[in-house]
This record gives sequence, structure tokens and C-alpha cells, in this order.
Amino acid sequence: MNIFKLLANLAEVDPEAYQRLSARRGMLSSLGQLSRKTAATALPLGVGAVLQKAYGRNTQTILDTFTLALTLEHLENEFYTKALEAGRNGTLTFAPGTQAVFQQIQAHEQAHVAFFQRQLQSSNAAVPAKPNFDFTGSKNGTKPALYADVFTNFATFLKVAQLLEDTGVRAYKGQLEFLISDNDVLQAALQIHAVEARHAAHIRGMRRALGANVRDWISKDDETITNTSTAAVYAGEDAEKQTLPGLPITQFPTDTTPFAVGPKPKVSLGEAFDEPITTGVATQLAGLFTF
Amino acid sequence: MRRRSFFRVAGAAAAASTLVLAGCNPGDDSPKPSTNPNLLILGGGDNGLLNYAYLLEQLEAAFYQKVLDALPADLLPGEKDALTDLRDHEVIHREFFKQALGTNAIESFDFDFSTLTLTTRAGVFAAAKKLEDLGVAAYAGVGKLITSSVYLGLVAKIASVEARHAAYVRDAVQANSLATADADTIITTGDFAALNVALTPAQVMSAAAPFLKFIVDTSQLPKA
Repeated sequence: MNIFKLLANLAEVDPEAYQRLSARRGMLSSLGQLSRKTAATALPLGVGAVLQKAYGRNTQTILDTFTLALTLEHLENEFYTKALEAGRNGTLTFAPGTQAVFQQIQAHEQAHVAFFQRQLQSSNAAVPAKPNFDFTGSKNGTKPALYADVFTNFATFLKVAQLLEDTGVRAYKGQLEFLISDNDVLQAALQIHAVEARHAAHIRGMRRALGANVRDWISKDDETITNTSTAAVYAGEDAEKQTLPGLPITQFPTDTTPFAVGPKPKVSLGEAFDEPITTGVATQLAGLFTF
Repeated sequence: MRRRSFFRVAGAAAAASTLVLAGCNPGDDSPKPSTNPNLLILGGGDNGLLNYAYLLEQLEAAFYQKVLDALPADLLPGEKDALTDLRDHEVIHREFFKQALGTNAIESFDFDFSTLTLTTRAGVFAAAKKLEDLGVAAYAGVGKLITSSVYLGLVAKIASVEARHAAYVRDAVQANSLATADADTIITTGDFAALNVALTPAQVMSAAAPFLKFIVDTSQLPKA
């Protein structure tokens, strides 16, 4: 039984006991101090009954989220590292002024990788190895490429970059509910989520500068850049309604008083909310570029 | 500012007792009456946090509306459409929080943008950059305090759109703006390098103070 899984399950079946443990030992609340090591040895005696309740449940845990996040950050880091290499080799020509932006983005992704590696290490959890990546989508030549010219054509590179960043934003959003029991972890995820959204928007702006019909925010009016394999990147993203459970009116906007603002209210409603993707969809999308 | 539900009373003693009473009743998250006509006390719990977000979205929506009411003459092609999109998104966010809060919502307010230069393109985008970066840091700072996973998810849906806005207006201020590291936006060193800056409600309200015609008391918002 993994200690993370156990604690996450404990938080779910007996939040009070979790709080007591957490408060007493600083467990899972000490991300800032990087002292998760304590968790492995901190379980006090006398919590057997509670652990029995927690044991055996199979919910997604903070560890699972960190593992997914590390994979996505490795993916992005290697993607930009390869592109910058191609720029140095002269095989990829960056639009004027953009190479320095990608150096910053790559540095951010590298720091995110290191961040999650440190968190896993300091919890005595196994740090998953970096997967093998093939950004053409050919799975190392075993199937037809999705983006054969990803590192030789700047427009293709930008398209794949946009798909990866928007996927990252949606993936982090989908993971937040699994982190709600730990404020420090949740805050870090939200901070990284915001940086990934900035990346996505800057890349969208670069595509627009080169003539693409695309906005910094995800819009139904954007030109389509996905195909059958990558459709999941934006599937469900243009939702025009939000659900507000537990209220007399559970939908925003309400049906009875249609919400009208600006020249294109329905498009704006889709743009104003970024939607999450599940662990499964995020894993599947990352899988397009791993082998 | 409209008065009806933005409570104004008489005397500081009553204000103190209101705070004490509020402290005795942690289950009541509604905005608290204030005796000071210039004091807005955000309530506790998730409702307090949602009201905090509602106030920020009111501010952003009012800002872009003011910009659209008298557009600078030197905007570049496409920027009027983008500023309209930004206004529409912020109005949608504002109305979303208003509906979510229902009877617990704070009043809708007027703001003071007289410290800003909104007659030039440069002035508009410099101001937008400050407001959007502030919004992103505000959401990054309070998301963790929300106890409802549903509202956490909904707030995160808005938070990343604010980050996209911030990126847009930063690039409008300076092309390829991300090439220049800015520690006020994204942390540049240490264990938290490459994470967006996160600000507390008190820090955010301090930065927003020039635009507010009232003082915001954030002391009842959850801290952990």
C-alpha cells in the first residue's frame, strides 16, 4: 500500500482523522518545506481502525496526479528542448523574436519537471522515468506520422505546441479535485495551471501573428487544427452552460432569461470558461507522442 | 455605489460587535453588515471567497466597459474585437458569480478609474496588464481555500481564462513579452521557480485600492 494512496483514502473516508494526523505531523501540508519524508514514518499508533476503512479503496490519489503531471511536464520539456535544438541546427526556423519566448517556456517546463521530481523524492515515492517521446506521432516509426514536419516547419511546430499546452491546461484542471485535501499541493497545481495557460495563449498569439484564425482563449470561432487522433484536445471545451449544483437554478446562464452580452453571446460563453479533461483523456493524448 | 444591500449603519462600536457575532457563527457565510459606509466586509467560507472573486470580476468588467465606451484612437487592427471579447468574458464571469451567490452576493459597485490613462492604446494595455496579472495571482492564491470541489472546479475554469487574458494584454504591451522574465508574474528562482505568483486577498485588495471607492475587509475569509 502506497502511503499517498492510504492517506488520500483516509482523507476521504474519515476527514477528521486525516486532519488530526495531518495537523499533528505536518503531513501533506508541508509541501513548502519539502518535508513529506515525514509521512512515511509519521503514522502514529492506534489508527488501525481508521486505516482499515481507508485500506483497499481505489481512488485516484495525489501520487497519481503527480505521476501524470510529471509525464506531461516531461513531454512539454522535451518537445521544446528538441525544437530549440532544431533551431540551433538550422532545421527549424523560428519567426523573429519567438525563439527567446520558447527558451523561457522550455525553462519553465524544465523547472516544473524538477518540481514534481522533488515532491515525489521527498515523499519517498518512486520517481517515474522519463518516457520515450516521438513528437511526429509515429511512435518511433511504427505507424504513419501525425505531424511529420513538427521540427522542420514552424507553423506545424506552433500547432503541436498549442495542442500540448491547451491539453496541459485542461489536464491540470481535471486533477484539482484530487488535490483538494492538501492546500499546499493544490496551490502549487493552480500556480502551474496558470503558467501553462499563459504559455498556451502566447503560442496562440504567435499563430495569429502568422495569419492563423485563432484567439488567445479557446474559441468556437478558431480554425480547426485537430484531426481524428487529436480531437479530444478540444472535445467538450466550448460548453455554453455551467452547472451550479445545489442552487434553485442549477444552470448558468438560465434558460428562461438568456444571457446576452456582446455581439456573439454563445461563443463568448464557451470562451469564458476553460473545461477540464479526465485523467484518462490526458493520458491518452500524452500517449500519442510516447512509445 | 448602490446602498440597499451594502449595509451602512452608525458607529464603530456596532461594527465591532458585528464582527464578534460573525465569529460566533462560522456556518453563516453571508456578507456581514458593516457600520462604516465605506467598509465592505467579505463573509467567511466559500461564499466569502466567491464574493471576493465576484468583486474582482466586477472590477475587470467595469474596466473593459469603460475602455469600450471611449476607445483610444490608436488601437491596432483586431484590438477592438479583442477588447470586446475581454469585456464579454468578464461580464460573463461577473454574472456567473452573481448567480452562484444568489442572496449571499455583495452589491454591485461602481469603480474609480481616474488614476488610469485610458485615452491611449499604451495606457489601456498597461492598465489591463496590471488588472489581469492581479486577477491571475488572486485566483492562484485563493483556489486552495475553497472547500467545495465543484466550486473549485468552476473557479479554475475561470482562472485559466484570466491567465490567457493576461498573456494577451502583455503581448499587446510588448511583442513576445514572455521572452522577458518578470518575477512579479512568474516566480524566477528557488523551489517554486516557474510557478505563477499567488497573492493573498489582503495583498490583492491593497493593489486594487486605487480603483475602489470603499475599503474591503478580508479578515473573515478562510486563511487555510
